[in-house]
Amino acid sequence: MDIIVPHSWLKDYLKTTAKPERIAECFSLCGPSVERIQKSGDDTLYTIEVTTNRVDTSSVYGLAREAAAILPRFEIKASLQPVKVQANQPLTKSVDYLNVVVDHELCSRFTTVLIKDVKIGKSPDWMQDRLKKVGSRPINNIVDVSNYLMFEVGQPVHMFDYDKIKDHKMILRESKKGEGITTLDGKSHELPGGDIVIEDGSGNLIDLAGIMGGKNSAVDENTKNVLLFVQTYNSARIRKTSMTLAQRSDAASLFEKGLDPELVETTIRRGIDLLTELCLAKPENQILDLYPTPYKEKEITTTLSFIQSRLGVPINKPMVQDILISLGFKVRWHANNMSVSVPSWRANEVNLQEDILEEVARLYGYFNLPSKIMSGEIPEKPQGQPFDFEMKIKQLLKGWGGVEVYTCSLVSENKVDISGKPSWVLKLRNPLGADTEYLRLSLSPSLVAAKRQNLGQEPFFLFEMSNVYLPTRGQLPEEKMMLGGVFAGFTYQQAKGIVEAVLQELRISAKFTPSDTKGFNPNQRLEISCKNLNLGQFGILEQDRSIYFEFDVEALQKSGFLNPTYKPIPKYPGQIEDITFSFPTNTRLGEVIHSIKNSDNQIANVELVDSFENSHTFRVTYQDPEKTLTNKEVKKIREKIIMKIEKKFTAHVK
Amino acid sequence: MEERIQNIKNEAMAQILGAESVAELEELRIKYLGRKGAINELVKEIPNLLPEKKGFMGRLVNEARSIIENTLSDKKVELESKKAKTTWFDPTIPGIKPPIGHLHILTQAKEEIAGIFEKIGFVRVRYPEVEWDWFAFESLNMPKQHPARDEWETFFVDSATNPKYGQMVLTPHTSSGQVREMERSKKPPIRMVNIAKCYRRQSDVSHTPMFHQFEGLVVDAGINIVNLKGTLDYFARQFFGAQRKTRLRPYHFQFTEPSFEVDISCGICNGAAHSTSSGQGCKLCKAGWLELGGAGMVHPTVLKNGGIDPKKYSGFAFGWGVERTYMMKSGLQIGDIRTLYSADLRFLKQF
Repeated sequence: MDIIVPHSWLKDYLKTTAKPERIAECFSLCGPSVERIQKSGDDTLYTIEVTTNRVDTSSVYGLAREAAAILPRFEIKASLQPVKVQANQPLTKSVDYLNVVVDHELCSRFTTVLIKDVKIGKSPDWMQDRLKKVGSRPINNIVDVSNYLMFEVGQPVHMFDYDKIKDHKMILRESKKGEGITTLDGKSHELPGGDIVIEDGSGNLIDLAGIMGGKNSAVDENTKNVLLFVQTYNSARIRKTSMTLAQRSDAASLFEKGLDPELVETTIRRGIDLLTELCLAKPENQILDLYPTPYKEKEITTTLSFIQSRLGVPINKPMVQDILISLGFKVRWHANNMSVSVPSWRANEVNLQEDILEEVARLYGYFNLPSKIMSGEIPEKPQGQPFDFEMKIKQLLKGWGGVEVYTCSLVSENKVDISGKPSWVLKLRNPLGADTEYLRLSLSPSLVAAKRQNLGQEPFFLFEMSNVYLPTRGQLPEEKMMLGGVFAGFTYQQAKGIVEAVLQELRISAKFTPSDTKGFNPNQRLEISCKNLNLGQFGILEQDRSIYFEFDVEALQKSGFLNPTYKPIPKYPGQIEDITFSFPTNTRLGEVIHSIKNSDNQIANVELVDSFENSHTFRVTYQDPEKTLTNKEVKKIREKIIMKIEKKFTAHVK
Repeated sequence: MEERIQNIKNEAMAQILGAESVAELEELRIKYLGRKGAINELVKEIPNLLPEKKGFMGRLVNEARSIIENTLSDKKVELESKKAKTTWFDPTIPGIKPPIGHLHILTQAKEEIAGIFEKIGFVRVRYPEVEWDWFAFESLNMPKQHPARDEWETFFVDSATNPKYGQMVLTPHTSSGQVREMERSKKPPIRMVNIAKCYRRQSDVSHTPMFHQFEGLVVDAGINIVNLKGTLDYFARQFFGAQRKTRLRPYHFQFTEPSFEVDISCGICNGAAHSTSSGQGCKLCKAGWLELGGAGMVHPTVLKNGGIDPKKYSGFAFGWGVERTYMMKSGLQIGDIRTLYSADLRFLKQF
């Protein structure tokens, strides 16, 4: 959460001569981060990021308190000026102007005062000016005082029109499921139940406490008497209601982080002062304050050696003590053990000795620490990690001209799988849009889209290695690392060559089996496997007639054999010759080559070297490891081949 | 016979050395080495020799053959190069290149980052991208409904809630690997670098719904803030260059205590915070520094959730965007992070 703080306002509570630029720098190094500073007339505005744990600094006063601790670390004089209040009405447990019943589990401190005879009008220029600078639109003096208090001290307040509260009675309780309230922004809510609400004497809900007041009790231009209302609410309840109803407000975002109940008294007195001054109003003589369990300082114990060892430098006792005291902590030492009392405004988030360490460390200054890589034992790398293998494949494809893409794994319904949307696919409950609603099952549609984007630049081939998410009942999906590739301007043979080359480089003796499946043209797809493990597929997609391949990377890794074994170089030269056959049209050359190779165990290699119409020339290598084959022996094998091929494929040798 | 061999050899040498064209050399090759050439004629006589002479003569003939062969090929090179000196040759003709592929810039970034950490003993791992709420949030000290969760614009998967681990989410950060790595390694020392896809519900010039993070996690006895600084400084020098500086500032994360924001000096203005040419503010940075990402000392609750005793061990962690970090390298100035996920070849071929 970013807040804007004018330098002039900060100076109400911080006595220092430091320039805004310097304050911003010191803040960023030791405390809240100053995102930027900018001029506004003769004032300077700080934009400050307040982290969720430091709600105590989300106000002018809170930041002044922080600055007063930080600036002296840079040898800059600075001191905190208290919030001056004049209103001195006593706090009482009951008042005659309001009858209340409060569930303190929901509201640990309930404080209110009746302010009579308010004159509603514009607030003075100085207040309007400050509100505009912090980004709040001035409305009228009542609303402006509420906002001003929140920005100044960080405590949201609410103003009820006293005369709209039936019987001047309030019951602060938990809502029941289904109860309704219209908030002052005009929105009607059906409550989920368990929300903090206030009902008046007529049983109507008049406040969605801590989030927004009810429309039926809101201050308007005819309001005469107001209840100034300052509370500390149960932060988790506020958070839950605000998130469930999606009803966010500045007040809710402060209350949900847990506010300091001790801040309530200062706020209500400061509020009485401002309303008296600006609305010429008359406050009642008693402030109702129901606060059954006042804050008791909590203590955290730690040791000097813990601070020193975690910090990594031998910081001394006086410095630890100075730092903590400057931040409002109290320190008691017993030798090197310390008991640290936490101030009320830090009580919600300082719980552990690590929290104390953080306070010491940040004011000591992280920039003052030396830097040294840890020594110590080095963990052992787990076996079988896929990273090197994956990189090897990517390098291979790059070497053959592949261009790697990263496409989004979140896709639209029609890009989920190779052949449209299957029955079971994971879907987001809160997608950004329909084009990123599903967790894809295949890389293929994304790659085809990527190809289309580049038409006109052929030839090219794109590949991607990414997880697909396969649903698994009751479990996280199986995240399968897939390698996909799509070709443009490549012939089928060129593309297949790349697929074969990958397998060869990985030393996988893969089997290509023609087999049809949805998404591919009939008769134009091969299943690729090794032993009984399915490795992937290759073929021509129905979509755009794209030539596409995909592999299951883990299956490749399992089948791959990256450490080669040595085969002795043949002592005797092989004999090489070309044989040409003509075939009928529907012949699969893959099967022909397979058949030639299997005709005899002295055939070392068979390659297709030339094709013309239905004639295909194969280069056959004959080899015997023990001797040089004679022409007679080769002739015998050749005849075997010819007989087999002619018979099996109704072919004719040429 | 010995003499004849010698004579044929000498005669051949003389003729070869005196030849003036490649064609003439070819004639000589046929004359001496051809099927019916002088050498083969000699070979045919060998079977008729006395057995004790066969070996010796055979060797001599082979020797003569190889000398003639070598002389022929040397002379051929000589004649060709002499010819080449006088024929027109254009050395500027473009080469015929093999196809040139491209690894995506993110792959290059991930490899470089992993390599830097692996050199100081970090183990590279990867954990689920679709994750349970427990690992993504709750085990990291972020109970349900915690306001700190707002910072992680989380995608929820439409799926049944697990009774033990809660809702199914797309992991919004690599920190969800922290407790998983503690569970895997069982016992410190841990030095992990987890680089993975993450998802957040946001899309603008500096955010894409899918992005990558790299997470470092170190757990051992006596790990302290000085060690964290040492590791981050080492990374910054290796990755960004020796002249780049880092600094830590206080921040807040639920899963680290203390927590830091890590800044690096701006590569555009070199920390001056303004452009030297125009005198105006630097377009990239604020005040000379750029936010790299978060870091911190592992929260004791997180250690406990990972089965590690926080009294014995401490640790640090950091998790940064791969895209963001890589784009901060000097020289690489991609204005819109969404460009990285475009499949446009004109972009992809630049890397």
